[in-house]
Amino acid sequence: MTTPLASLSRRGFLAGAASLLAAPKLHAAEELRFAHAYGETVLAAPARRVVSLGYTTQDSLLALGIVPQAIRYWYGDHPYGVWPWAQPLLGDGQPMLMTGEVSIETVASLAPDLIVGIGSGISEAEYALLSQIAPVLMQAPEFTTYGMPWDAELRMLARATGTSERAEALVADLHGRFEALRARHPDWQGQTAVCAWHEGGQTSAFLDGDSRAQVLREMGFRLPEALAQMQGTDDFYTALSPEDLSPIDADLLLWISDGGQADDLAALAMRRTLRANAEGREAFCDALLSGALSFGSVLSVPYALKRLEPEISAALDGDPKTVVPSASEAGLL
Amino acid sequence: MLRLLGLFTLLALALALALSVGARPVTPAVALEALRAYDPTNPAHVTLMAIRLPRLAAGLIAGGALGLAGTVMQVMTRNPLADPGLLGVNAGAAFALLIGATALGTSDATSVALLTFPGAALASALVFTLGGGLRGDVGPVRLTLAGAALNALLLSLVTAIVLIRQDTLDMFRFWVAGSLTQAASRPLMEMALIAAAGGILALAIAPQIEALSLGSALSRSLGTKPRRVQAAALAVVTLCTGAAVAVAGPIAFLGLMVPPLARRVAGHALRRELLASALLGAALLLFADTLGRVVMPPAEVRAGIMTALIGGPIFLWVARRLRPGATA
Repeated sequence: MTTPLASLSRRGFLAGAASLLAAPKLHAAEELRFAHAYGETVLAAPARRVVSLGYTTQDSLLALGIVPQAIRYWYGDHPYGVWPWAQPLLGDGQPMLMTGEVSIETVASLAPDLIVGIGSGISEAEYALLSQIAPVLMQAPEFTTYGMPWDAELRMLARATGTSERAEALVADLHGRFEALRARHPDWQGQTAVCAWHEGGQTSAFLDGDSRAQVLREMGFRLPEALAQMQGTDDFYTALSPEDLSPIDADLLLWISDGGQADDLAALAMRRTLRANAEGREAFCDALLSGALSFGSVLSVPYALKRLEPEISAALDGDPKTVVPSASEAGLL
Repeated sequence: MLRLLGLFTLLALALALALSVGARPVTPAVALEALRAYDPTNPAHVTLMAIRLPRLAAGLIAGGALGLAGTVMQVMTRNPLADPGLLGVNAGAAFALLIGATALGTSDATSVALLTFPGAALASALVFTLGGGLRGDVGPVRLTLAGAALNALLLSLVTAIVLIRQDTLDMFRFWVAGSLTQAASRPLMEMALIAAAGGILALAIAPQIEALSLGSALSRSLGTKPRRVQAAALAVVTLCTGAAVAVAGPIAFLGLMVPPLARRVAGHALRRELLASALLGAALLLFADTLGRVVMPPAEVRAGIMTALIGGPIFLWVARRLRPGATA
């Protein structure tokens, strides 16, 4: 696998270079101010020693060339909680892996000069405590806890670490990839698509405020009307009645998994009543692809796009007989 | 007899509601059509045949079995607080199943489900031993304390496994509060047979249990062998609780609230009481599951949470009417 940085497009590089020239140069002495969900955080200078408490913020930091002092464990069996798409950027770094609740003492012992709480789910009380150790960054006020888009997060962290040029180049590159993908597939634009999940007898779907839905949106898809009108938990996902899966009957139905759900899905009888199933418009995302969509980061999204494009092409070619490779492998056909 | 007939009517009502109430309307006409010519692409047919019927079967098995297990435990121990959930037997079964599923993977549902039986057997043997059961009379307070301690120990072990192995977390959510939603993928037929075996054994030893509940000295003079009866009663509790947990996970409160209600209906004759417990347990669990389907659309509330919600007030009501010092 080539690293995302090595495969930066020329367009991305030029855009980054342009923004570097256009941006007013920050003086080191100037303080950096960030408005966020829990108030305002002020940094005297760009941070170097960073603790990453968000479940996915390690990706943005690594993309910016910053190896965090500590990383929050989300899920998956990857060294230091760093998934394959970000592994090359970790290099020899050996960040501490923090599992479970945030241990304030552990964070203090690392003597960070910035704590990243975006997408960490920490409470305001924990925020106040952590702020006594080092400045803490939360998601910008307009986003939900787990709903800050990859580009906004990357730019915020870049400003805090003095790496804005690099961020702009990365943002431009990924936007360029989305743009190229949309140009390659004009027929996808405006079609409906859903990321759904089935576990323990319960089917759930991700809503507009979620990173998975955001990736689909940037590819040109939209949520089906029935699902868009449903109220979810934190606008992030909604549970569905096992007796009525029609809200997820979209033009494209992506099944998210952590690896072990293929059998459950294959046995899910109600799935057979969906037109998406009858017309072969389902794809199954294995643990790694699901992880890439769930991280929804500047590093994971390029990986997801690369793997999804052939799957979606097979699903949406208009011919029910075309086999979607992932759905066939998972035994969903 | 008339009262037992009333229970059959109650169960019939529970069955009718369990088949007809839910997110998707299924009329009797559609139900008949689904039975005659099942169409796997018709959502109403799928709802009835692949979702509601398996749930109904699981509810009958788990509800009936937990009712029986609760009654046997309460009579054996003369303790109105005895319940497979409260005394850690549910937790033992769920713990064994979680261990098995973590070690073996979840691919073979039937063989993993069989692990609930050694788990339930060990937990019930342990709690009776700790509670002083081997020395004859089981004191209500001591038994309840032993059960609560065992329950806490097993639940913290479950939590420890979950903290070490993140991938068991979703399984844990199923095993911490029972639910009928996975009924279709559970070994229903096998567990129905095992629960039925437990029920038949319970009916067979009912007279000896009654004699034993007079106190071991008196029962021995009546020709009862206390150890043998205790062992058989433990077998009943193990078979019934194990089968219930294998199809529905640990359902709270059912074994606690059913026996006092059953006694009210059937009076103090253990065989009739056991029958009433099975009918009531099944009916209550089906009501709980049906209610859980409609209270919070589009999501569902697990049956195990609904039994706790319904069971709390019922239990308080029954407990308030118990005379101080009365034994079950």
